[in-house]
Amino acid sequence: MPKKVPEQIIRLGIVISIIFGSVALTLYLLPPALKDKPFHRRSTILAETAKPIQFAGSNACADCHDDKYQQKKTGYHRNLSCETCHGPAAEHAADPITIKPFVARERRGCPTCHEYDPSRPTGFPQINPTIHNPLQPCVTCHNPHDPVPPRTPEECAACHAGIVRTKAISSHALVACTTCHTVPEKHKITPRIIRPTKPETRDFCGKCHAKGAPVVDAPKIDLSTHWEKYVCWQCHYPHLPAERL
Amino acid sequence: MNQELTEKLTDLLSQVTGYIYPNEIEIHWSILIVVYPYVTGVVAGAFILASLVKVFNVEEVRPTYRLSLLTALSFLLVAPLPLNLHLGHPERAYEIFLTPNLRSAMAMFGFVYAWYLMGVLLLEIWFEYRGDLVVWSREKQFPMKWIYRLLSLFSNDISKRALEFDHKAAKAITIIGIPSAFLLHGYVGFIFGSVKANPWWSSVLMPIVFLMSAIVSGIALIIFLYMVITPIRGETIDMRCLDRLASFLFYAVIVDFSLEALDFVHRLYESEESVKILATLINQKLFMSLLIIQVLLGMIIPSAMLVAGRAWRLSEELRKLLYFTACILIQVGIFSTRWNVVIGGQLFSKSLRGLTTYKMEVIGSEGLMMALALLVLPFVILTILVKLIPPWKEASRQTS
Ligand code: HEC
Ligand code: HEC
Ligand code: HEC
Ligand code: HEC
Ligand code: HEC
Ligand code: HEC
Ligand code: HEC
Ligand code: HEC
Repeated sequence: MPKKVPEQIIRLGIVISIIFGSVALTLYLLPPALKDKPFHRRSTILAETAKPIQFAGSNACADCHDDKYQQKKTGYHRNLSCETCHGPAAEHAADPITIKPFVARERRGCPTCHEYDPSRPTGFPQINPTIHNPLQPCVTCHNPHDPVPPRTPEECAACHAGIVRTKAISSHALVACTTCHTVPEKHKITPRIIRPTKPETRDFCGKCHAKGAPVVDAPKIDLSTHWEKYVCWQCHYPHLPAERL
Repeated sequence: MNQELTEKLTDLLSQVTGYIYPNEIEIHWSILIVVYPYVTGVVAGAFILASLVKVFNVEEVRPTYRLSLLTALSFLLVAPLPLNLHLGHPERAYEIFLTPNLRSAMAMFGFVYAWYLMGVLLLEIWFEYRGDLVVWSREKQFPMKWIYRLLSLFSNDISKRALEFDHKAAKAITIIGIPSAFLLHGYVGFIFGSVKANPWWSSVLMPIVFLMSAIVSGIALIIFLYMVITPIRGETIDMRCLDRLASFLFYAVIVDFSLEALDFVHRLYESEESVKILATLINQKLFMSLLIIQVLLGMIIPSAMLVAGRAWRLSEELRKLLYFTACILIQVGIFSTRWNVVIGGQLFSKSLRGLTTYKMEVIGSEGLMMALALLVLPFVILTILVKLIPPWKEASRQTS
């Protein structure tokens, strides 16, 4: 007697083949256009493009505010877009008389970028807002579109706050910046173009640290044996020399 | 800088301690993503309990066999909903099948899920119930009659041989089902464990820890349901069954606890650069949910209760009370396990130097209310299923 295929298998077989059939149908019979990735992303793109435009872009402002644009173009703020400070202004550009963009005239606007923060890059101008000319809005002394300090800063701290603070607690606290760096006055005006010097040889540090050097309180090493193949700052951070790498 | 933005950022900063990258302030995987592994965990756990009856012939727990299957099904049906709500655009969900991406673990969810639902759970339930469905379709009146006919796929063979075949098929499916259940929940653990940039998640033990805690939550939930439903039906609770379930639960809790402790000790001993921030995370942010709720209330106290119930030969009533409380505590504990993994993993900065805070929405598609609704929904589905195909009447076995 030939074994009968159980009824259950037949019925399940039908259901399963319907499922697989429809999967195969969608995979092979659907026109390729319907399986296109762009097609599937279309709705996202439509949803994104349907959002209102908020920003006009820097160049748009130049059409009507050419004075500000020209001022900013050469100043220290040249890399900032107008709308970084004024907020999204597309509506203002379209209808300048009724809609006015935001203008941060109070003090707290500028410190978002200029408040002292050790993670900011070397040379980035930073101040301590509590002690830097308090109570007056920054714009009374600095033109936001072409910020130049009213007088050339005397202290390196105006721009190298991190290094100054580090050095102040190191064993080099009493060694002036200018002992190791020769700083042309112009460096404080165009710092990225006119650069100070930096020590280049082991003998430079040896002026104070070599055996027999005249500076009494500097600890002494033998230059000819103390890691003679390397320059000193490969191991000692000169602004915090106790910290050895 | 735009004033609105400045104010918003200043506001947000109050929820941050230490240094944190801007895109880490807000937590993106919300409470819905906590619900998701919790729900799939219950599925895997309930199914593994059911397989004890079918494959390992643990006869004592037979009264819960069908209940476990139906529980697994009702939770499995809810499992993709949190993801759908979180991602938005549920109408595009089918695209995960049309444009498969074999290199993305997340994109494989559709297939893991479909296999488990269609290839394992529904099949097993169908074979288990087919005889009964045929009997019911003959007994019942018009609308129900057709529903049962449809559910049985219009089959009508309830000869001894056919029922025997059903039985064998269900057993075979369970055997395939066990690795599949492991796959389903191991997969969820894998999703987290494989995020190598996140030291709180990245661990090979993650899938196994997830799996064990899944088994714990599944068994605890079935005990809970069994203890609630049986009195409602006016029947007495089978203490042999209950004791057996409780001892399985106890073993599962012990294994789960040891694995998590192992994971913990391992991290502590390795002391990678992340260990400091993780320690602060546990001390500051997760103290309540990890040490108090998960470990103390969710593991130590319930396992003491389970042991006490057995060791001192307490009276039935007292044992029931202990088991019942232990099950509830364990559910809460496992839920906070998921919470600690999902939310905890996002509370610290990748810079390992700062922490943020999770502010839960109450209403809204990713809020607390939605999460509660999703946690209640499986019980609603289960009620319907239990009404439709009662787990305790084995009609075909009586007639044949
Ligand atoms: C179509 C010409 C036009 C364009 C384009 C335009 N503005 Fe204006 N803007 C005006 C006019 C006109 C005023 C009003 C001057 C007044 O009231 O004295 C104004 C005023 C302003 C003010 C001063 C608001 C105040 O409260 O005093 C700011 C700031 C400003 N614009 C910024 C911008 C920025 C930023 C852009 C580029 C996104 C821009 N504008 C583009 C025409 C323009
Ligand atoms: C660093 C932030 C910053 C940037 C960048 C900036 N502005 Fe301004 N802007 C200000 C501040 C602050 C004021 C208010 C000045 C005041 O009250 O003296 C202002 C004032 C103005 C005014 C009103 C002028 C007035 O006298 O009342 C206009 C117009 C304007 N800005 C246009 C521009 C345009 C156009 C650009 C881009 C080319 C730009 N701003 C870029 C900060 C900025
Ligand atoms: C979005 C960030 C940002 C904001 C807001 C901002 N600045 Fe600046 N500021 C800069 C950058 C960038 C530079 C250029 C630094 C450099 O050259 O390394 C700069 C340079 C400066 C300088 C130094 C010029 C020099 O001598 O080196 C001054 C002064 C200054 N800003 C003042 C202001 C004032 C006043 C405001 C508020 C009206 C302001 N900034 C707002 C980013 C900002
Ligand atoms: C009373 C006028 C005055 C006010 C108000 C003022 N500054 Fe200055 N600022 C100066 C002077 C003068 C210097 C240069 C001398 C020095 O080192 O202090 C300077 C230097 C700076 C520098 C150092 C960079 C450089 O080019 O030397 C920054 C950055 C700066 N100011 C930002 C601000 C900001 C931001 C505010 C508002 C919170 C502000 N200032 C308010 C007068 C002022
Ligand atoms: C107006 C701001 C400003 C002031 C004031 C200033 N610097 Fe600088 N300094 C800079 C900037 C900007 C750089 C360039 C940083 C870069 O490009 O990495 C720089 C670079 C340097 C460098 C490194 C040059 C190199 O080639 O790497 C040294 C050294 C230095 N400054 C020393 C000083 C000393 C010492 C003082 C005080 C006497 C001082 N600077 C005052 C802004 C300033
Ligand atoms: C003991 C000598 C010494 C003193 C004092 C010193 N420097 Fe330097 N500085 C160095 C040397 C050496 C380097 C080069 C380090 C290198 O190339 O790694 C350097 C590099 C720098 C640089 C560029 C590299 C960097 O770290 O950003 C800056 C800026 C700078 N110094 C600023 C200062 C300032 C500002 C002071 C005073 C507060 C100061 N230095 C005091 C020795 C010194
Ligand atoms: C002008 C003299 C002078 C120069 C130049 C100088 N140092 Fe020093 N250095 C000192 C003095 C003084 C001390 C000890 C300060 C103290 O501890 O009382 C010192 C201390 C040190 C220490 C010991 C830190 C500790 O606490 O253990 C190191 C390392 C060091 N310097 C490295 C350097 C290097 C590298 C250079 C070259 C870039 C350098 N020094 C250039 C004067 C100098
Ligand atoms: C290869 C790394 C390396 C280099 C390069 C190096 N040092 Fe050192 N230096 C060390 C270490 C490490 C110590 C501490 C060793 C010890 O305590 O005996 C040290 C100690 C010192 C001390 C003594 C500090 C004390 O407390 O007694 C001084 C001063 C010093 N170095 C200066 C220099 C100078 C100047 C140079 C360049 C001519 C230099 N070092 C180059 C690694 C280095």
